Amino acid sequence: MATLSSRDRVKWAFLLPALVYLMLLAIFPLIWTLTLSFTRWNANTMARPQFIGLENFRYFLFEDPRFWFDLRFTAMYVAVAVSVELVLGLLLASLLSQSFRGKNFFRVIFLIPMACPPIAVAFLWRMMLHPDIGVINSMLQGIGLRAVKWTTSAAVAPFTIMMVDIWEWTPFMFLALLAALQSLPTELYQSAAVDGATSWQMFRGITLPLITPMIITVSLIRAIDAFKLFELVFGITGAGPGGATESLSYYVYLIGMKWFKLGRGSAISWLFVILLIGLALILISRFRRERTQ
Amino acid sequence: MRSFWKVAVVLLALCCAASAAFAGGAKEAAPAPAAAGPAEVDLTVPITVLVTDPHIQVVDTWKPIWEAETGGKINVVLVPYATLEEKLWIEFRTKAGSFDIACIPVTWKGDVFGGEHVEDLRPYMEKFGYPNWDDVMPAQKVIVGWGEKIMALPYDGDNHLFYYRTDALEVPEYQQQFREKYGYMYSLPPKNWEEVYDLAEFFNGWDWDKDGEVEYGFAFIAQQNTQAMWSFLDFAAQYATVAGPPSNHTSNIFFDTETMEPLCKTPGWVEAMKMIQSLVKFAPPGLLGYGYSELRQAYVSGNSAMAIDWADIAIQAQYPEEYGSKVKGKLGYGPLPGASKYWDRRTNKWVEEQHNVNFLDFGGWVYVIPKSAPHKDAAYKFGTYITNPERSLLDVCGIHGYTGANPWRESHFKAIDAWVRGGWDRDSAEAFLEGVYNILNDPYAVTDLMIPGGSEYYNVLDTHLNKVLSGSISPERGCELIYDDWVRITNERGKEDQKRYYRGSLGLK
Repeated sequence: MATLSSRDRVKWAFLLPALVYLMLLAIFPLIWTLTLSFTRWNANTMARPQFIGLENFRYFLFEDPRFWFDLRFTAMYVAVAVSVELVLGLLLASLLSQSFRGKNFFRVIFLIPMACPPIAVAFLWRMMLHPDIGVINSMLQGIGLRAVKWTTSAAVAPFTIMMVDIWEWTPFMFLALLAALQSLPTELYQSAAVDGATSWQMFRGITLPLITPMIITVSLIRAIDAFKLFELVFGITGAGPGGATESLSYYVYLIGMKWFKLGRGSAISWLFVILLIGLALILISRFRRERTQ
Repeated sequence: MRSFWKVAVVLLALCCAASAAFAGGAKEAAPAPAAAGPAEVDLTVPITVLVTDPHIQVVDTWKPIWEAETGGKINVVLVPYATLEEKLWIEFRTKAGSFDIACIPVTWKGDVFGGEHVEDLRPYMEKFGYPNWDDVMPAQKVIVGWGEKIMALPYDGDNHLFYYRTDALEVPEYQQQFREKYGYMYSLPPKNWEEVYDLAEFFNGWDWDKDGEVEYGFAFIAQQNTQAMWSFLDFAAQYATVAGPPSNHTSNIFFDTETMEPLCKTPGWVEAMKMIQSLVKFAPPGLLGYGYSELRQAYVSGNSAMAIDWADIAIQAQYPEEYGSKVKGKLGYGPLPGASKYWDRRTNKWVEEQHNVNFLDFGGWVYVIPKSAPHKDAAYKFGTYITNPERSLLDVCGIHGYTGANPWRESHFKAIDAWVRGGWDRDSAEAFLEGVYNILNDPYAVTDLMIPGGSEYYNVLDTHLNKVLSGSISPERGCELIYDDWVRITNERGKEDQKRYYRGSLGLK
């Protein structure tokens, strides 16, 4: 039997606490829920889980239209919200990377939404967007416009959720991209200016390529975070009207925490994790390709 | 390579540990041994109470007095309603003993009582007594029962009432105009949903209280995930059954008790769905954004002629300063409107007959003692302390402000002076109490859905109802979708088990 050298023993002594911590807090729950995902366990009536193989996964993938509806809504929400946040964040960052009076004041102001707890943001907007007594409709009607069914129309409500997300998380994009812009070397711009490049040419030819890694990184972070949409749905629409704003996370919450179907809840959680890993892999490979180019 | 194998061995060991834990954790722990039954209960022990807002008002009121009288200690765990259920179930599964007594909605009784996660209180009542059981209203005795057992302490008589504005429906000039337009005179309170429809149309979209603002006909909770399904069931109860001793064909609106087939596709349900959908056009424009908070705020601020809600509107209406009420002294109360017909499933025909069915929707909050509670006897004593006739009266009548608790004892309905001291005007108090009393005193009142999976059944009802109310699907389609989902849920949970629970909830063998 091979014995560890003293160097290896020291190495393992340092590694072991972190490894145990990681195993207990990350790996164990994953294994536990994976095991549960192959069972039927209605925790409020069944004393113990009952093994049913892949039945839970089959149910979601082939039998449950609600899963696919929620997935479609969540994917659309991520695509629209993150894209708009990126564009707005880039515009704001470009604007505030210029020198002008009051720049620091605006920088701080723009960060406030991001600092608010998401559930507080949700209830704040729920009150402001109420069709009858909300301040936003009052203002619209005050200037002669029609009231909007922000949360009560199945056609409008999904975009309301996106609008609030954009309000809350554009500052994150702005902050990250501002840091990226400020780290760019000024010499390149000076050379380009000497060569007669316009602002747009400088942006397209210098700025954009240099900050692309940052754009991909922040987009990846935001996309993964947005995919876990829960608080805004919970607080603003309650997934309504008629389930039009039900996100995948909200459905997971219902199954696991409201209906206590722990087997099925674990299965959909694993499907969720696999989807997120897939999304991350796509974006990371894209990032690597960009870097290679 | 060797390192790889070491890591692999560690992972394998963890997998084995997880499997072992899975197998072990899956076993239900042996129930805690019954308390040794001391002759005198030690009340100096700390009692942990799990409660939500606004029920914490009641606990906070009595806590210092209890502590001074007994030398004990009350620890309050306040959680939002949204997380109460998970807190409860984590305790039931882990048996950690994290609280001794909990205030929960009785509508969870199918899961909580049926799963025997809480103590049967009958032995406690025999051992320590109960403060005047005969004083408890019949409906309250029914809802805390499970078979022969008593699984909870009653605390709140919470059912939907019908509200109307007296400065609209009782104005002779408007009554005359209504009679001319519709060719008949309505009852006060309206006797059926057909009358409510006409009244809602009549009082919709004009300033009948002359306050300079346009008012609307009828308001109810309609927002998804805010208990809108109970609004619908107020209609379904009238069209889908007839009052009588609970059986398959009387006072039964959810399932066929023989086959466990959902009744959601019956013409009675479809008619109810059509009626509630048709009333949306006479409601405030933002109705689909009305959860319970919004409804109460809007109604007591005077925006509608009629509404259905629990007793909260009646209570909030009494406090203009706190809730901005503009309707104090202007409310009429009644039981739920009936219907001019009901679907008879025995004959599969409509029976054209005016009738009323009282429906115990939600049913109220109750106190339960988990089997894992560390201090069950003391918890029982504390539960009966705060719910005895004298103390509970102060909590329901407004003297202690808005507590969320509504009258549930006979004596609460007789102590009108206490209600007047609580801020009510005498006429309103009498009318309100009469309305609630008639519902709670009805032996044939339809009980709420109280079987395992209740929240899942209601979630799909709520979701599809919301589609119907927003006009995205027809009432017939909505009922079909609810039916399909209820069949699926029933099958998943075991049809025979569910049938047993359902029959038990109706008191059938």
